[in-house]
Amino acid sequence: MSLESPNDKPAAKPRGAKKSPGAKAGAPEANAVDPLKPFTDTLMSVLSGNLNARVPHDRVQADPTGFGHLLNQVLEQFSSAEHRKQVAAQEIDQALDSLIILVREGDLSRWNTSTEDPQLGPLLEGFGKVIETLRIFVREINEAALRLSSSANQVLAASTQHETSSTEQAAAIHETTATMEELKHASAQIAENAGSVARVAEETLGAARAGRGAIGEFIQAMQQIRSDGVAVADSISKLSKRVERIGTVVEVIDEIADRSDLLALNAALEGSRAGEAGKGFSIVAAEMRRLAENVLESTKEIKNLITEIREATQAAAGAADASKHATESGEKLGAVAAQAVEGILAGVQETSDAARVINLATQQQRTATEQVVASMAEIEDVTRQTTQASKQATGAAAELTQLAGRLAELIKRFKAD
Amino acid sequence: MTPTTTPLQRALRQAPDRTLAAQARPEQEFFCFKVGELRFGVPSENVTEVLRAGLLTPLPRTPSFIMGVTGHRGQVLPVVDLLRFLSKGEARIGPRTRIFVGVSGNYVSGVVADTVLGLRRVPVSEILPPPLGGDAAAEHLLGVVHGGTPHDGLNLLNFSKLLQTARQRAVVR
Repeated sequence: MSLESPNDKPAAKPRGAKKSPGAKAGAPEANAVDPLKPFTDTLMSVLSGNLNARVPHDRVQADPTGFGHLLNQVLEQFSSAEHRKQVAAQEIDQALDSLIILVREGDLSRWNTSTEDPQLGPLLEGFGKVIETLRIFVREINEAALRLSSSANQVLAASTQHETSSTEQAAAIHETTATMEELKHASAQIAENAGSVARVAEETLGAARAGRGAIGEFIQAMQQIRSDGVAVADSISKLSKRVERIGTVVEVIDEIADRSDLLALNAALEGSRAGEAGKGFSIVAAEMRRLAENVLESTKEIKNLITEIREATQAAAGAADASKHATESGEKLGAVAAQAVEGILAGVQETSDAARVINLATQQQRTATEQVVASMAEIEDVTRQTTQASKQATGAAAELTQLAGRLAELIKRFKAD
Repeated sequence: MTPTTTPLQRALRQAPDRTLAAQARPEQEFFCFKVGELRFGVPSENVTEVLRAGLLTPLPRTPSFIMGVTGHRGQVLPVVDLLRFLSKGEARIGPRTRIFVGVSGNYVSGVVADTVLGLRRVPVSEILPPPLGGDAAAEHLLGVVHGGTPHDGLNLLNFSKLLQTARQRAVVR
């Protein structure tokens, strides 16, 4: 519309400007002189809208012929100008129609209005440029709206997913917190157990040390017993030799007693032969004989005793030998036991150390777990907030999606192509 | 028996009693010994000496009761086994076996004794006659003495007769 009035004015002004002098000139001509009547009529006709009306040559007197001719030229020019004006107005109308359609329907593709009018050309060209720019805008906006829509959809999906994930995360964190709580209790239990293990290991260590000492004493005692046993065996062999000597001595005594017996017997016989005088002698001889017999009995007993002693010493020697073997194996066993106890000591030491380390580690673990639990609580808080935020984000994204759809719908009303 | 008194002192103390006892009742002295399970007594005047049973040299063609001969003081002494002679078994020579030298008149002989019991005075009144209806050994017995226990009894040998019989038997062979 704004375009119309400047166009209209320049077209009207020249017309008015040209017309008023013409009308001013015509009125006095028609009034003043009759000869001017053709002119007047022509002008009236023209004024009434007949642009083709011309001053007829035949009705004009000679002299004013030139004037009439001039007027005709003016009229001719006016006519052509009017015609041009009409064409321009038509074109402007067409352009306005196009613009109206464009504005109403948003169809930018149908703008193809053109003109030969050199004056209207730049205007329409400017319009075309504007339209073209608009078209590019619309196209870009359309594209952007589409992209926005899909992005908004993606955002919605992502934020929905995020919401779900954060809900899951919250649940997982809750679970983790519970687990950590259990872990804390468990680690406390472990620490306690490790402490008791360490105590027991300490006690075992003491017992094993005592056992080591006892085994050392045992081995010493065994060595003592072995050396004693060797001494005993030595003594037994000496005793055996002595007893053998006693046996030989007893043999000698036996022999002497036997001879004494015989001598006494013969002495008694001699005494008997001496008659009454030899009686006392006989009696003494008989007593001597009894003595010899006593000696023989004693030596017999001694021999029996020697035999018994021999057997006993043999048994003792055997026992000493067995004792030697037994003490040797006892020593070996003691050494083995000592080794075993050493192993036990080392093992128990390790156990004790390990238990102590476990105790420390579990205590650390407990404090760490407590920290983790605290952290988890914070994380849970944050996650709750995140969940809230992501719910809001989801709502916003949904709204955004709706808005993007609406925008896309709106922009679809403009047809760029 | 007290430990302070020696057997000799004891014997000397007892000696006068026995002398008195001998005066009271007549006694005979016997040389007592043991062979196998039998206990014998030989009148002590028939026994001169007791020897150890040394090496015996067996003699061929002699009765079985002659165990052999042995040397004694430069003489050959025949040794008699009483058990065989009396058909009561067989004597064994051991390390403590004795041989006593018995004499009867001109005859000298050794007799094997397992153990010599010693000289013993036996009251004549205690000597009992040998059991009648006994075996062949009874003819060489002077008599028997019953001791306090069954194992304490003695068979008193008539050694002179025994030697005679032995001699006869040996000669008969």
